[in-house]
Amino acid sequence: MSDYARHEHHDFTGGTAAALRDDGLQAALVRLTSTLMAGNRRGYAALADSNALRDHAKRIKEHALAHLDRYLEQLEASVLRLGGKVHWAEDAADARSIILDIARHSGCKNIVKSKSMTSEEVHLNPALEAAGLDVAETDFGEFIIQLAGERPSHLVAPAVHHTRESVARVLSEHLGERLADDPRSLALTGRRVLREKFRRADMGITGANFAVAETGTIVLITNEGNGRLTTTCPRVHVALMGIEKVIPRLQDLPVFLKLLARAATGQTLSVYTTMITGPRRLGELDGPDEFHLVLLDNGRSRILSSGFRESLQCIRCGACLNACPVYRRIGGHAYGGVYSGPIGSILTPLYDSVEQNPHLPHASSLCGACQAACPVKINIPQMLIGLRELQHQRQANRLEGLAYKMWSAMLRRPWLYRLALRLAGVFLWPLAKNGWLQRLPGPGEGWTSVRDFPAPARRSFRDRWRDL
Amino acid sequence: MAISRSDFLARIRDAVAAGNRAGVGTDIPRRGTIGYQGAGTDPVACFIRELETAGGKPHVADGLEALCACLTGILQGMPGTSILFESPAFLDGDVLAAHLRSLGKQITCIDELPATESRDSFFAADFGVSGVEWLIAETGSIVMATRPGRPRSTSLLPPVHVAIAARTQIMADLFDLFDGSPALPSCLTLITGPSKTGDIELRLVTGVHGPGEVHVVICSWA
Repeated sequence: MSDYARHEHHDFTGGTAAALRDDGLQAALVRLTSTLMAGNRRGYAALADSNALRDHAKRIKEHALAHLDRYLEQLEASVLRLGGKVHWAEDAADARSIILDIARHSGCKNIVKSKSMTSEEVHLNPALEAAGLDVAETDFGEFIIQLAGERPSHLVAPAVHHTRESVARVLSEHLGERLADDPRSLALTGRRVLREKFRRADMGITGANFAVAETGTIVLITNEGNGRLTTTCPRVHVALMGIEKVIPRLQDLPVFLKLLARAATGQTLSVYTTMITGPRRLGELDGPDEFHLVLLDNGRSRILSSGFRESLQCIRCGACLNACPVYRRIGGHAYGGVYSGPIGSILTPLYDSVEQNPHLPHASSLCGACQAACPVKINIPQMLIGLRELQHQRQANRLEGLAYKMWSAMLRRPWLYRLALRLAGVFLWPLAKNGWLQRLPGPGEGWTSVRDFPAPARRSFRDRWRDL
Repeated sequence: MAISRSDFLARIRDAVAAGNRAGVGTDIPRRGTIGYQGAGTDPVACFIRELETAGGKPHVADGLEALCACLTGILQGMPGTSILFESPAFLDGDVLAAHLRSLGKQITCIDELPATESRDSFFAADFGVSGVEWLIAETGSIVMATRPGRPRSTSLLPPVHVAIAARTQIMADLFDLFDGSPALPSCLTLITGPSKTGDIELRLVTGVHGPGEVHVVICSWA
């Protein structure tokens, strides 16, 4: 087992069944995904030429990835010039020990974090806590799931699986007082508790939505303002980012800013877009004295060299989750990995292992809604098919091979095909209910244990055609 | 032990070479006018519309007296007394500060604040009143740039932020802000409306971390 999905290699079909039985989760998923998808469509429609802009964004990402070595060196030089420090982390363990070393070296004890999927990916919080440091997630949804000991279940709405009642319960337990389940007063209680954390914090940890090679700028996007507080109050700022987040020039940034919030929620811009360029400068009254940038590989270079490079263009807007008929029913936790939904079904097998996550490339109907919603038009269906191919190559099944040989022999002989169809009709029709086969006999049972199979028509299309 | 910088970069270099496909990503095409939305014929109206959509409160003042009346309207009757104040460059700061004091508020002028005391004053303030770097009409955003005398906290820590801008500070489109790669301050922030969360059942709550109220007064004579 790799470090990627430490505790959650779990039974995908079991997780899925549990999600489908959870009425509260089903209601929450419908509410979230339909609201955000309506926003996604409205957001693109509000742009005069969203297609061309999305294509342009894709060109920028393609270019940055095709010259990633050069842009990482340029980013490093820019950050150093500003007085920041740059660290290179090969994997999750490296990233954790680098950040722990920074905390130790700078004497930091109280850490505030703004939402970062990359820090989830490297399991940063448990490592910091084990070292005796106080860590607080400050995005309100992340704060709730940190208290509940859970993982984010959506890229931009991490606590979507919670209700007002469960949030009230979690927060009440933490504070030792009974809180009413009113969203406004709960959120404002969160503000009060976290404001105190910000006041005492000596280290702020963030991710990075983008990093501009030309200027050494780290871009953070939030709606709550916790990203700003995290980079304003503590005296040390550590930004942890995957190497694929680098973009070449400052002029490329607005292309993505115009797309990200529109794709994610339909907002023109998120409330706060913060561009951090080095530590606090001479004479300034606030901001961190130290700025550290941790660049994480953790399997990305392997993907970069493969046919799955396009998946590194992802800007984590969550649109593919909202669009996906599978995510909309099973939610984020059922996927098991840190990243969920269609993009997670690509990233988890690639970061972790294809063998350990056999179901994920199949958790898709390949309908293409994900690609249609993606701001950089990542061809997710094609990559899922690519992963299925990979599975097939690695675990070639002789019985399956034989079945396909028979299938192709049949297709090459029309008389045999007609005969097979007729036989299938005769034998399978009695098993069908409302036009669907819910249970196939013999080896077909494995297939129908999680799916229904359309019943063969009583008369084939070819037969009916002849009579027309 | 962590990987060395040169090994890390060598691995990326190899991966780039191994995965590069002919004709993909060779260069970034010129953007031209793609994605440029602009602000139509009336940038002020466009800004006002977009700020309102984002939940902010726009105001227009056509003279110093109107500006003072506008500030009175926003601040008087609101709970809280302490104001963090940084004067917009195009106005006489003393006149504005005197007016704010006349409303019975306590003013902390950022210019006069010793660095050692700033942190507590920032956390204690009820209002932040400041100038802006730019406004962006297309998105209804305020652009704040950090420098000496222009801290990050004024527009962030108090529950209410009042930004005062000259009409000439309005840019039409987000692309305009990034034209010609300007020299960046340590922190450049775009603020688009009040702080928001929808983390509980998608119910919109404002003011969860940053200000819950954002006012922008556009001085139409300046």
